[in-house]
Amino acid sequence: MRLPDRNAIWLYAALAVLGIAMIIPFTMGSIYILNIIILMLVFIIFASSWNLLAISGQGSLGHAAFFGIGAYASTIIATGTGISPYITLFFGAGVAAIVGVLIGLTCVRLKEWFLAMVTFGFAIIVQTLVVSVLAPITGGWDGIASPRLVSPAVPGYLLIEYYSILLITALSILFIHAILKSHIGLAFAAIRENEIEARASGVNPVKYRLTGFAISAYLAGVAGALEIHYIGYVTPEIFGIDISFWPIIYSIFGGLGTLAGPVIGTIALTIVWDGLKAFGLTYERFIIIGVVLILVVIFLPRGLISLPEEIRKWRGSRKTTSEPEKGSD
Amino acid sequence: MVDVDILLQVTFWGLYAGCIYILLATGLNLIFGVMKVVNFAHGEFLMLGAYVTASIFLLSGINPYAIIVLSMLVLVLVGGVVERLCFRPILGTGKLNEIFLSIGLIYVIQNAAVGIWGDQWQSIQSPYAGITIPIGPLSVPLDYIIIIVVTALILIGLFLFLNRTRLGMAIRATSQNRKGAVLVGIDVERMDMVSFGIGTALAAAAGTLWVVSGQVFNPYMGSIPAIKAFAIIILGGLGSIPGAIVGGILYGLAENATAYLFGGLWKDAVSFIILIIVLVFWPTGLFGEGEE
Repeated sequence: MRLPDRNAIWLYAALAVLGIAMIIPFTMGSIYILNIIILMLVFIIFASSWNLLAISGQGSLGHAAFFGIGAYASTIIATGTGISPYITLFFGAGVAAIVGVLIGLTCVRLKEWFLAMVTFGFAIIVQTLVVSVLAPITGGWDGIASPRLVSPAVPGYLLIEYYSILLITALSILFIHAILKSHIGLAFAAIRENEIEARASGVNPVKYRLTGFAISAYLAGVAGALEIHYIGYVTPEIFGIDISFWPIIYSIFGGLGTLAGPVIGTIALTIVWDGLKAFGLTYERFIIIGVVLILVVIFLPRGLISLPEEIRKWRGSRKTTSEPEKGSD
Repeated sequence: MVDVDILLQVTFWGLYAGCIYILLATGLNLIFGVMKVVNFAHGEFLMLGAYVTASIFLLSGINPYAIIVLSMLVLVLVGGVVERLCFRPILGTGKLNEIFLSIGLIYVIQNAAVGIWGDQWQSIQSPYAGITIPIGPLSVPLDYIIIIVVTALILIGLFLFLNRTRLGMAIRATSQNRKGAVLVGIDVERMDMVSFGIGTALAAAAGTLWVVSGQVFNPYMGSIPAIKAFAIIILGGLGSIPGAIVGGILYGLAENATAYLFGGLWKDAVSFIILIIVLVFWPTGLFGEGEE
């Protein structure tokens, strides 16, 4: 009877977060904070997409490639056809998903850290292509302007953008939740735990690995397109190493392999990151984030989300060590 | 069609660039061989080595080639501390954990360097800058020749250390069979620390050779060369030092040939294109045995 309780707690927590997100624009007059929150929402999708790939038993050190491909593809389609970015962003993400499957195909037979190498290199190859061969349509290093989600001429455009990005973020999380509950999620777990047993019970690992890659790349593409249509400009720096590392850091910090982990990680670290900025720190912020990451990997490998459980366990173990004779009678 | 002089020139550049990769890849191989650890922050040690050498040179004016020893000693200590504090606690918890930890290390070390030295591009001038030696039709900068000779000397020294000394043999034993090494009384945790320190020192040597040739450097210089060094050891065989040497030279040559033919823009991309093509056909690497 504990499990439904816990599910209910999660549901209420999610609804509360959503409720707070709904009223934020009315409680805070500052555009600066709204801007931070919009970018945070985008990175919640991005981190969750990376995390989904991890759940499917794979890893990526170059997820910026899909983030950037979604952004560029959507921008180029939107400028070329004049279709609203609200529609093109899903096509742009589709391009990212197709590329994701191609990369997945080259990677299915690789061990996890070889895969990390390939994906890292892939982001660099894509960046090189964007500034060389593709420069006539991508604008090379200078980048290109991207149509805004809502034209700044529309009154209250920022609020419309905020609520639509919030909606897409919530839908993305629900989508991942649905996948994890479906047979695909079960297959991911089976492959992750024991690939040979999974294969013996009729689960085709290659098929599910590719599915994982496609969905993950798709969501990363959605995130990239959203960010760029919000900022209004895209440059090849979107393929940078930092952009690939952030979703990893967020997911690990929150709790790798859980639905809520990347969400909690992104929110918590955004507060830390922008809070430190308010104190006037610049490069020192990276040192602090780096130290936090190292400490989490060593002492809290299941992330912030496991903190209550770890504390309970720690308290429990203290109790049993202080009263060792209790167990003997 | 292709000018022989230019071909030779590109080959020489390739050998020189290869030296940096060989030192990085050999160090990584030593660490991987003993600890089976994937440290993506290895390039940050190259960067620290470069800055330590440059700082000592700017303060004292000693011949920068002589500082290589000092720089390596400093980095042995850094490596030992990093191994003890960061990698030992997570040893055996999985490759992904090691990669995540390396990402944290990359941020810490890079930005600590920004704090100490600033983040602008810098360079120092070798005392032999401008001196060239005629070899056949070529005029090769003296610095390049010294760098190739120094790399060879370091590798010979490493070979002698690993094959002729008790400590070196203990490291090799740990690398070949960790449990067996414990059984014959080798302190494997000490071997971890020593090999991590030596690997780090080799990265410092690479960093020193980078700066003395007059190349520019900044705190972010190390990431890409280190990842390429990983590509090299995947191609050349995990734990195989001869593989790292051959792979390093091939990578140096391939990159410089590409840069010459298609422009410098492709220099980084080509390394990964080679890696991906190789892994598509040989998923465990050219000489991989599928272990670990």
